[in-house]
Amino acid sequence: MINDKNSQKIVDIIQNFARKHSLFVLAYGTGCGAIEIPPTMTSRYDAERFGIRGAATPRQADVLLITGYLTTKTVKRVIRVYEQMQDPKYVIGFGSCTINGGMYWDSYNTIKVLDRYLPVDIYINGCMPRPEAVIEGFIKLQKKIMEGRAEGAKHYKENLEWYRANQKKVLGPTTPHIQEYNW
Amino acid sequence: MNIIHITLGILLGGAILTYFANKISGVVRDLMFISTIVVAAALFFIKMTPDTVAVFNLGGITLSLGMNHLGLLFSIIILGLAVLAGFYSLPYMKGKDNLGFFYMNYLLSIFGMMGIVMSKDLVSFFIFWEIMTWSSYLIVVYNGNKANKIGIKYILFSALGAYSMLMAIVMVYSQLHSFSIADLSAGFTTMPASYQITIALLLITGFAVKAAMMPLHVWAPDAYSNAPMSYTAMFSGALSKMGVYGLVIVFVTMVSHLPQNFWVRETIAWLGAITAGMATIYAIFQDDAKKLLAYSSVAQLGYIITGVAIGTEISMIAALMLSIVHGMFKANFFMVVGAVERQAGTTDLTVLTGLIRKMPWTFFSALMSAIALAGIPPLVGYVGKWMLYESLISNGNYILVIVIFFASTAGFLYVFKILYSIFLGQEEPEFENVKEAPALMVIPMVIIALLLGFFGAFPGYLLKYIDNALVVMGYPVSQGKWWEMTTLFNAWGNKVSTDLIMYTTITVFVTIAIVLFYRWKNGRYVSTKDISLSGEMPKEDENYSFKLDFYKPFERAISPLLRYKISKYYNEFADGMEAFFDWTRRIYNGNAQTYAIYVITFLVILLLIANNIFTV
Amino acid sequence: MDFLIKTLGAIATIIVAFIVGMLYMGINRKITARVQNRVGPPVWQNYIDALKLVSKKTSVHHGVMQHLAPAFLMISSMGTLLFIPILRGQSWFPNLSYHGDLIFILYFMVLGSLGMALGAGQTGNPNAAIGITRGLSQMVGFEIPWVMALVAMMIQYHTTSISDLMAIQQQHGWLMFQNPLAFLAAILAMLGMFRYSPFDIVGAPAELASGPISEFGGKYLGLMMSSGSIFAFTKLTLYVDLFMGGASNIVVLLIETFTLYLIPMLYGLVSPRYRTEQAIRYFWGWPTVLGLAALVYSVVI
Repeated sequence: MINDKNSQKIVDIIQNFARKHSLFVLAYGTGCGAIEIPPTMTSRYDAERFGIRGAATPRQADVLLITGYLTTKTVKRVIRVYEQMQDPKYVIGFGSCTINGGMYWDSYNTIKVLDRYLPVDIYINGCMPRPEAVIEGFIKLQKKIMEGRAEGAKHYKENLEWYRANQKKVLGPTTPHIQEYNW
Repeated sequence: MNIIHITLGILLGGAILTYFANKISGVVRDLMFISTIVVAAALFFIKMTPDTVAVFNLGGITLSLGMNHLGLLFSIIILGLAVLAGFYSLPYMKGKDNLGFFYMNYLLSIFGMMGIVMSKDLVSFFIFWEIMTWSSYLIVVYNGNKANKIGIKYILFSALGAYSMLMAIVMVYSQLHSFSIADLSAGFTTMPASYQITIALLLITGFAVKAAMMPLHVWAPDAYSNAPMSYTAMFSGALSKMGVYGLVIVFVTMVSHLPQNFWVRETIAWLGAITAGMATIYAIFQDDAKKLLAYSSVAQLGYIITGVAIGTEISMIAALMLSIVHGMFKANFFMVVGAVERQAGTTDLTVLTGLIRKMPWTFFSALMSAIALAGIPPLVGYVGKWMLYESLISNGNYILVIVIFFASTAGFLYVFKILYSIFLGQEEPEFENVKEAPALMVIPMVIIALLLGFFGAFPGYLLKYIDNALVVMGYPVSQGKWWEMTTLFNAWGNKVSTDLIMYTTITVFVTIAIVLFYRWKNGRYVSTKDISLSGEMPKEDENYSFKLDFYKPFERAISPLLRYKISKYYNEFADGMEAFFDWTRRIYNGNAQTYAIYVITFLVILLLIANNIFTV
Repeated sequence: MDFLIKTLGAIATIIVAFIVGMLYMGINRKITARVQNRVGPPVWQNYIDALKLVSKKTSVHHGVMQHLAPAFLMISSMGTLLFIPILRGQSWFPNLSYHGDLIFILYFMVLGSLGMALGAGQTGNPNAAIGITRGLSQMVGFEIPWVMALVAMMIQYHTTSISDLMAIQQQHGWLMFQNPLAFLAAILAMLGMFRYSPFDIVGAPAELASGPISEFGGKYLGLMMSSGSIFAFTKLTLYVDLFMGGASNIVVLLIETFTLYLIPMLYGLVSPRYRTEQAIRYFWGWPTVLGLAALVYSVVI
């Protein structure tokens, strides 16, 4: 009865509802965009009213919020942090730098398109995006979760080789410590 | 020829034979050793009935021995631990030098302890006491040169205890013209009050040395941690209980009959509590597992001394209960540390790390002992602690109970420290090839661990023996008033049901464990190198475990207390004595004329005094 | 039949404790938000969080002690709850309350912390170990005034049983007025017990990355959250039983426990964080003096 297709659908709806309304955010403050997170979380814009709150470690987090450009040194850590998060997990790319490199587009030591290294569920564009835009992005993510389309982690798992190849290309010989993927 | 002759004969003969068996081969020696213990223990428990008496004639001296229920209680601790630690000892000591000597002393100290609990007169008590002291001294110095200084400390304090005991025995004889303990307890009230208090205090000093009470405890941490662990299990578990045994006798037969209130009970109870508190604090800051456990032993004996000193019915039950349970879990803990030392090669808590997956059974027994040591229900360590608190509260020792509670709560700190440092934390390549200890070492540990759980649910099986012992000492029957098979009562009629506590704990634990194991395959084991620490990736040779300055904030908080260390005063005293004797050396300057002056001066003084005396 | 009713009562007690504890945590978040001039999450946010955490698809653990840590925690939260009388004079809720006394409960409440400490220790995360040493040190701090308050009440009324103390309060009035010093000492100890600011040195998200629970995610974190909320309700009920005479029905119980819950919560809202040694010294300062005074008061009375 539990494995029945209809009951599975109901379970999915309940679970997606819970996931949607409870987003623990690991704000990875890589770039200048991190300065927009405090106003988003605190009194002025108060993201907590949507069930969005900060998480201290990747083990507890649902959303990895990448705020801005990633240097090749940082991207190693970001990948590790992403892989330490528990399924289901989502990535939000924040600012133009994560979309196409932004003002760092011809920099020698930053990555340009985040999507080639990690499966991004939602992009928030702007340089930098205001807290309203960040909240808008979260709401988009919630909608996607409710519809069951936020499947970035599944995509990452299925195309792991492709992602690994891309990661290796940019990280070069400094990749040996990336451990196996924590499902 | 009865069971007392046979047990003591087997132990003494076995000791000597084991020594000579060593000349033949190691296997014969081991077999000799273990069969001596097992046969003696088996015969003792099958054949021994209370009220057996025996008489030894050694030349002109007659030693009278006998067994009562109090002795029986302590012989359960001694022989039970001797069997378990004996089996443990075989693989643990394998390959060490001079083993015939070690095993001979091991058996001799058991012989001494059994003699003590069976002594019916003070002379045999003293003889067996010295046999026990010397054999344990020889084992303390077994580890070689480094241990010599420690051994001197131990034997000095033991000698202090023995001399005060001897002095007390002589005083008893001068008053009563008998060495018998029965005569002593009967005739104690007929002595002059000054003799009564002096005898009691001297005997308490003698026993408090062995029980490591506060100003006399200085030898204990070093001696415990330097003997081989298979003997320390006996040393801390059973041998220190001989001090408790003596204290019980002194408090029951003498202190309770003191005509005036000399504050003996209060003083000793407070010394016990302070011992518990200070030793606990020192245990917290030790970085060596053996040292930590040694201080912890001193602390636990502090509770027992307090219980004995208060001397009400329930506190006596508590003290005896704690004696048995402390014997169990502390012996177990020392065995655990011995197993770790043997397998991993060190007991330094800052070096050891992550052994839980390598030595799971050792960890299990360490965990059970730790819970029992901390006095947490549902294990049996809780029963004695509970009774001690109830007795202190209902007896009006309100501040004492706070001190003891502080010691007990602070005990969690070192309990966690030793478990975490040895077994938990990140795994280290250095300990990759560590294996679980041999079965002969693991089985005794696991047996004790399971017994701790069993007696936690059914403490009545232990309390029955304690009850018998108390009846011998003149207390009323306590079953039904203070305890049932699975229930404990306090002075105000409140109760605790140990079996229900055990069942509730198991039910909740198992239910949640089932919930956790449901959809087990979704969970995954990851290595302890895979930790979420700022996206860092520890390399193979890096270890992030938190080891050094483990309780630094706590140390800062209690730093005013740490300034007082008893051993400092002893050291200053020793330095002072050395300086004094250095000074006295000037008297012997080697000049014959100076010596002549001394002689003349002495004679003149003597004449003056003599004149004075005889004219008056 | 008796056994069946007892079992059902126990399950009902645990469910009530879970619901109420979670609700209190939600109200806490709401009030915190209002104090900070925010809208804040809905009060049922914590139920959603717990549901999400247990419906996580994966969970990693570093070994058996970490895997069983929530079970150890539940022993002390659920177990303690079962040995405390929840409502006065109800056949459903006394559970096992005549089978354990105050001293037993003092020790039983620690078992979970020890199991949790071992589980967190096994993760190998240095933050976890640091958090635990802080937590244990702090526990040594607040247990002293707490035990003093309890001993003061025990010697005043010659009982160590919670149900007896509740019965006594029926005749003599609430203990918080009978021995106000003990009540004050116990309340100050409660600040440390709840680990809100300024005593949130264990979890300290900003410096220790949530401390002991930093490696726990998914179902482990969900169960620990549930255990924490049950334990919060347990502690509050214990305080109500001891100082407010227990409650005769569930509404009174809710009002009384919530009033007590406001104390650590509101105190925490306006406080920064202590360092560990400051926290310990805080508890060994005025709370201990109050506890001693309560002891003297009980002896004199």
